[in-house]
Amino acid sequence: MEALLAKQASDYSPQMVSLDGLGMTDEADWISRAQRADAKAFESLYRLHVDRVYGLCLRMTGNVAEAEDCTQEAFIQAWNKMDKFRGDSAFGTWIHRIAVNAVLGRMRKSKRERDRIQLASDEVLSPASINDDGDLRDLSDAVNRLPEGARHVFVLYGVYGYSHEEAGNMLGIAAGTSKAQLHRARRLLAQQLEQQGFEK
Amino acid sequence: MNDDERNDKLIAAASKLSTEIVPERDLWPGIAESIAQPRRPGWMPMFAQAAVVVLLIGASSGLTYFATKSQQQPIQEITPELLFERASFGGRYSLGMDYQEAHSDLAAQMEDELVRLSPEIRADVEKNLTIIRTAIRDINTALQNEPESALLQELLLSAYREELSLMQRVGGLAQHVMSRKDI
Repeated sequence: MEALLAKQASDYSPQMVSLDGLGMTDEADWISRAQRADAKAFESLYRLHVDRVYGLCLRMTGNVAEAEDCTQEAFIQAWNKMDKFRGDSAFGTWIHRIAVNAVLGRMRKSKRERDRIQLASDEVLSPASINDDGDLRDLSDAVNRLPEGARHVFVLYGVYGYSHEEAGNMLGIAAGTSKAQLHRARRLLAQQLEQQGFEK
Repeated sequence: MNDDERNDKLIAAASKLSTEIVPERDLWPGIAESIAQPRRPGWMPMFAQAAVVVLLIGASSGLTYFATKSQQQPIQEITPELLFERASFGGRYSLGMDYQEAHSDLAAQMEDELVRLSPEIRADVEKNLTIIRTAIRDINTALQNEPESALLQELLLSAYREELSLMQRVGGLAQHVMSRKDI
């Protein structure tokens, strides 16, 4: 698992990097101090990355409570593994991978997964937490209704810009499977959105 | 609009979805509480190792007693699919020869009993055994990388217990089926 986390070669795509007003040296300093068990420095890392991590968890789970739990789990795991972070990838990418693992682990452990999926499929993401507008709101809700596998791939590939190889690595599936899941996601989304006049 | 155009539009729209979402509540207090506990102190693995050694000695002795006390069935040849992962305990530990021998005897006895069960039950038993043995192999592999992990050591011991328990239960189940007179 550590090797998997360390192998991540790419960083966030440019659209996702928004370290406005923050020098990268600050983050490097926080990382260094957090590796020496400085909780305040780790809190700074948390404040910097939490929105992106929570966003990923929420889009992958489609459920606010689970997204919160997975986000907390991801940061706790990151704290416990800080000494293993060597900077081969950006810290944001590293914790993204941990978050994906937290989501997958939680879903595997869930004994009521079928019920949860059914609940998620009926759930509309909270307007207070998602700031997508108009057609994007419809798309966001449609993504949330996708089956789990298709949703995970679509979120990683379509929303967060990871390649099929990267998404497959994160999800523990082959790149070809990721492509197949994306194809499925597109087909299901098109069916949903066509009914809502998304193309017009 | 053809499929390609529709797909391109979908991906383009997806890339505009928010990647950063503000949680509805501050999640930091829960994290802070968890990480406030000291990272794994050094004496814990040593304590865990000592506990594991004691448990292993007990388990090994118990199995030896069980194996020698129970009436021995003629040992049949074990089929390849029932060959067992060599009992080990990560890279540092090995279960004793007594355990190995008792394990082999129990496995042979179970194989003898298995043939008396219905194909469905036999399939279930073999499926469960495969799951447990896969877990043992995976935990052993993980222990190679993290030999100090008390959690992994505990999991491995638990997996070995599960395997032995299942083998014992299979023997009992078959004997029970064969001895019923009320059917």
